[in-house]
Amino acid sequence: MRSLDRLRVAGTVALLLGLAAGPSVGVLRANEPDEFFETKVRPLFVAQCQVCHGDKQQMGDIDLSRKQGLDRNGAAGSIVVAGDPDASPLIHAIRYDSKIKMPPTGKLSDGEIADLTEWVRMGAPWPEPKVSQQSSGAGSEFTEEEKSWWSFQPVKRPEPPAVRKADWARSPIDNFILARLEKEGFEPAPEVDKLTLLRRVTYDLTGLPPTEREIADFLADDSPKAYENIVERLLDSSRYGERWGRHWLDVARYADSTGVDEDHKYPYAWKYRDYIVDAFNDDVPFDRLLREQIAGDLLPADNPGALNTRGIIATGFMALGPKLIAEQDKKKMLYDMIDEQIEVVGKAVLGLTLQCARCHDHKFDPIRQRDYYSMASIFRSTKQVTDWQSHVSELYFAPLVPDDEADLYFSHQKKIERKKQRISNIVDEQTAAHVMRSLHEVPKYLAPARELLNAPKPRMSAPTATAEATPGHEADAVVAETASKYGLDAGLLGKWFDYLKPTDEVRPHLDRLLQANQADLPTVAEQYRAEFEQTASKRYGELAEWRTKFAEALAKDETPPEKPFFFAGENRFFTETSAGNGPLSVTKENREKLFSSEALEQLARLEIEQKELEKTLPPKPPMANAVAEEAPHQQNVFVGGNVRALGDEVPKAFPAILTHNEQPEIKSVSGRLELARWLSSADNPLTARVMANRIWLWHFGEGLVGTPNNFGKVGAQPTHPELLDYLASEFVQRGWSVKAMHRLIVLSSTYRMSADTTEQAHEKDPENQLLSHFTRRRMDAEEIRDTLLAIEGAIDYGMGGTLQTGVGQGMTTTDQLPPFDVSKSYRRTLYLPLRRANIPKLLTLFDFGDATTSTGARASTNVAPQALFMMNSEFVSRVAEGFARRLLAERRMPDEERVRRAWLTALAKEPAAAEVSEALDYMRAFRKQAATKDAQDIGSSPQQGPDDPSPDTPSYYYGEPTLAAWRSYCRVLLASNDFIYIQ
Amino acid sequence: MSRRALLRQSACGFGMLGLRGLLAAEEARNPLSPKQPHIRARAKRVIFLFMHGGPSHLDIYDPKPRLERDHGKPLPFARPLTFAEEQVGGLLKSPFAFKRHGQSGIPLSELFPNLANHVDEMCIVRSMVGDSVAHGGALMQLHTGTNTFTRPSWGSWVVYGLGTENQNLPGFITIKPTLFHGGAKNYSAGFLPAAYEGTPIGYAALGPDDLKEPIQYLERPGMPADLQRFELDMLQKLNRRNAEQAQFDPQLDGRIQAFELAARMQTEAPEAFDLTKESEATKKLYGLDNDETRDFGWQCLVARRLSERGVRFVQASHTYRVGNPVGWDAHSNLVPNHVGRAKQVDQPISALLTDLKARGLLDDTLIVWSGEFGRTPIAQSGDGRDHNPYGYTSWMAGAGVKHGFIYGATDEFGYHAVEDRMHIHDLHATVLHILGLDHKKLTHFHGGRNFRLTDVAGNVAEKLLA
Repeated sequence: MRSLDRLRVAGTVALLLGLAAGPSVGVLRANEPDEFFETKVRPLFVAQCQVCHGDKQQMGDIDLSRKQGLDRNGAAGSIVVAGDPDASPLIHAIRYDSKIKMPPTGKLSDGEIADLTEWVRMGAPWPEPKVSQQSSGAGSEFTEEEKSWWSFQPVKRPEPPAVRKADWARSPIDNFILARLEKEGFEPAPEVDKLTLLRRVTYDLTGLPPTEREIADFLADDSPKAYENIVERLLDSSRYGERWGRHWLDVARYADSTGVDEDHKYPYAWKYRDYIVDAFNDDVPFDRLLREQIAGDLLPADNPGALNTRGIIATGFMALGPKLIAEQDKKKMLYDMIDEQIEVVGKAVLGLTLQCARCHDHKFDPIRQRDYYSMASIFRSTKQVTDWQSHVSELYFAPLVPDDEADLYFSHQKKIERKKQRISNIVDEQTAAHVMRSLHEVPKYLAPARELLNAPKPRMSAPTATAEATPGHEADAVVAETASKYGLDAGLLGKWFDYLKPTDEVRPHLDRLLQANQADLPTVAEQYRAEFEQTASKRYGELAEWRTKFAEALAKDETPPEKPFFFAGENRFFTETSAGNGPLSVTKENREKLFSSEALEQLARLEIEQKELEKTLPPKPPMANAVAEEAPHQQNVFVGGNVRALGDEVPKAFPAILTHNEQPEIKSVSGRLELARWLSSADNPLTARVMANRIWLWHFGEGLVGTPNNFGKVGAQPTHPELLDYLASEFVQRGWSVKAMHRLIVLSSTYRMSADTTEQAHEKDPENQLLSHFTRRRMDAEEIRDTLLAIEGAIDYGMGGTLQTGVGQGMTTTDQLPPFDVSKSYRRTLYLPLRRANIPKLLTLFDFGDATTSTGARASTNVAPQALFMMNSEFVSRVAEGFARRLLAERRMPDEERVRRAWLTALAKEPAAAEVSEALDYMRAFRKQAATKDAQDIGSSPQQGPDDPSPDTPSYYYGEPTLAAWRSYCRVLLASNDFIYIQ
Repeated sequence: MSRRALLRQSACGFGMLGLRGLLAAEEARNPLSPKQPHIRARAKRVIFLFMHGGPSHLDIYDPKPRLERDHGKPLPFARPLTFAEEQVGGLLKSPFAFKRHGQSGIPLSELFPNLANHVDEMCIVRSMVGDSVAHGGALMQLHTGTNTFTRPSWGSWVVYGLGTENQNLPGFITIKPTLFHGGAKNYSAGFLPAAYEGTPIGYAALGPDDLKEPIQYLERPGMPADLQRFELDMLQKLNRRNAEQAQFDPQLDGRIQAFELAARMQTEAPEAFDLTKESEATKKLYGLDNDETRDFGWQCLVARRLSERGVRFVQASHTYRVGNPVGWDAHSNLVPNHVGRAKQVDQPISALLTDLKARGLLDDTLIVWSGEFGRTPIAQSGDGRDHNPYGYTSWMAGAGVKHGFIYGATDEFGYHAVEDRMHIHDLHATVLHILGLDHKKLTHFHGGRNFRLTDVAGNVAEKLLA
């Protein structure tokens, strides 16, 4: 079974072979020295040695990530004598037969030792990274088979084929579909009835049900243009952009947080979402939309000379991926982020799995590892995090005002920071002086305080009502007594005493003192003083030195150096006694006494100045989660995907199989601008095809290519290749207008077919790939929630903005927060915050996915938890109640009419007479059944429905039992297949 | 793509679902129906006890005389990549006393006096290895095999491979999961069908008494059962009529089935969480009467009840929450941190083992205990320890593993695993193997290639198999 062999390759072997890319790959000659190094030696160095001997640290000056690293900087001589294993320190170390035994964590296996020995014997070959400014597509490198893959061929414009049943075709699309049906001996399904078509197209274009009014108008309109008018109205509605923008957001894996580690917020992600919604509503040409999303920050603004804020926001597409910013292998972290960007661009725009070429050439498609790193080079030269090497890297926020205006804010804020720093410097300096002055007193207080700890508890006097008799004051008395005995300050002694009292904390650093004999106490106390002094002089000295540099930098208007940082753990005794509430610490309260009058004056002045500055701080500029240019980066291939195994240098370039030796010249810093232009070019064979297929898929539930994110070899082949090309060429010809494509599709006869299946279709084409009928589809998560809110009559059509709390708080994380309470919001579902670590349950329940990777087509499952949601959730109950109350609101309406309205509202369907009487019978029986229960039992709400029954109404009565029956019936409708399926 | 489309493509030779997916007509209808294992199954189900924050193996399972001897001295070799680069001190001996226990004489520190009675049932893996020094990546790798991107959780893989025994309960349940460090990603189905997603029971911050409704939407909104059934009958009448009209559409039938399953689940599942059926003695055994042990005791007892009812994969989490803000993450104050945390789990875990054994469930249930990493032999902030994924301890008990057995070893400092290294991938491969699944055959086609829980790695630790 060939397919199974291939599976095994994909699953296991594929990623194991991490070979250097290059023309010779595919013909592995293991006896070649370079190959030997790459397959046997380098992987061993990477796995076993580079943690200590790599680019991060070079213990003993040895760096096994590069050839020069063998030489120990020339200091102690090379660890390898080429050709002579026995003279090579490396070999002795790994044999464990010298003083140095490596790796220290355990001897290598015999085979590994033999390999390294053999390598040295071969002369320790280490292939030099090749410097090459040529991308991988030197033409001849691709086989004919690779070059002739269907999706890489230029888009042709096929003529619509002739068909027998010519009057069926309304649009060229129909010719393509019908020709194939006729060829296979199928009949197209009859045209669907008006109401079903209205429901279908309304959901399709807006994600919402048609209203009663819209239904009535449409039914009343007998003109031939009735349907076209509906389509135009829907395309003009703002609800359209919300629906179709959301489709694109799936592809763009849009979310409001980083998803991993602490799920850091993207506080401005929503601006990108709103940009997409607006762009679809405005029918921004798709090629422009793509250019903006990749490189909008580099495109001119609509108003010449202005900052292109729209373009900056658009690059959220690049910026909003999942990111692991607390990862400690910082280089790997950075390249994981880049990998994520390559993946999303590859899948979303090209329908290619470029990310598969990170560790080796793509196993199925002609994407070389060099191509991958040529793309990586572009994104490595693009800023997405600032200070990426810090412990937790910082996300990059782009100001949405010109730099000079943003600078007004940031430089003003910097002034405030500097002012604060000067204040704290004076405090530090004065505190240091105080501590140094008091140093000699440490043992004088420490010993008596220790004594006090062991002193017998003062005898309690008889309890009295006076406050003076509290134990604390008794203790104060003892402290005062001891203080006067030794001639000490009672207040200060009290503080030392408090410090030594046992706490919940474990304080091993005090053990020596607390356990010392009385006789040894003075010596021990003196030891503490000495250690204290040592730490104090060292730290205060360093700080004083830094303060000088700080002042100098400030005077020269340079960036001051980082303040030295000390860890509490190094000398906890010092930290605890000299800071916080420690006995030697300076607080706001006692500083008047302890600081020089000159310093106090200075502080007062600076504090006033700080307040003044804070008053005049300009408003914070609006920001976006976006990307920007960084310094151009020279990228190497990473052998086996390992960020520390440097292979050849590669230029910035686009996948060679697609550029046909016509790689556009890159002039921008990162190459993003050229990438954006190349991707959005009409000549790119994939871009238009991939998007045309997506549009088709979102209309019909299934693409012409069944794998919308993969047009490569393991993707599906197009079912109607000519139709796909026709759509792609039409898309480009109509100026990449998505709305034009909608018109083309929804006005066709193909789109208007009924969803009813014939036995023939079911037997021969169960997947309906031939499109002999319309494929019934389940509502997606957004449609379900939005429809329920609309039926409840509570939906809020406000657009844009964010519901995520803490906006503008920058890096605040969303951990530990309970999930966003979806039931509290009446906004359309696309506006709910999407925290990747915690997507609202209602969304995931109905196959929303996880917003982590580009989603081309959502799954559609039918599982029990969804049924439980319909049966039991408070949300559906609330909606059913609201629905029932709306139906009952009009007193004089006959019940038959109420049932009809319920059907039209929930199902956009006319009930048959039998269905109406069935409904009324059901409610009658329900009431009867419920009558045997306590009112409380039937899930009734305490608020009453319409008042008491009145004999002249058609209903029996309007009281709670009636409401309960209607509520139940409404829930039945909302849970029904007729509701949840669009057909 | 719909499941049907997937199936069709596999029939065409694309092998979208892997070998066993090919025969999946029934599976398409009910993805959770029980499936044949690849090989002999040594255990039928898993209870995973997750210790968030990284418990110190050096202070619980892996005594190091060398640390006693060289206490305070510098580490004699270079530190590998650590989480916190600074604040590092010398070697730190364990402040806790170790004693040998049971027939096997396996040493355990004084932190776990109750668990000490069970060492003869435990298979202690002292040579665990992971790739991440930060919690986020480490949690993800332990739960999903990768520390980088979203992949299906191991519970999801297990249910994908085996289905589940009780169709009235979810197949993969995670009790009070953390919302931290990947949150729901740690029990998500990733690219597997949504049916394999872990069902969360509340989340970390909720106490057992706050959980009104263990499984979301399980409780009827105050409606008596027969009245709801009456309503459901009406619904099913409409749905069947709709399906008849449409003809030939299995998804409509599938949805009718889903409602029937939901109705059964609703009847049976609440009982699984109803602890009033448990005797006072049992509740006391698990420590439900004590504030310190109540939370994890409740989790362990619920885990037992779920396993007893055939839930394939159950996870209980001792994790960060109010009053317990850093879990086992003792960067400082090792003693109070570990004393406190150990008290919260020692009795409940011991009770779980006792109870499972008494009910004969230990014969076909595998228990796995693990943090996301261990801790360093060198001090941090004077009296704490940093993260250490290079060598730490997890343990298993119950079905499929040797009992009273120690597998693997760390170096004399307890920093690196040096003997029988058990990478997280190996742990995953081993657990799948014990359940009868070959980790190389359990694949799912996604985004252009076949994926496995173990990526391209993983070796079954044959030596510890019973």
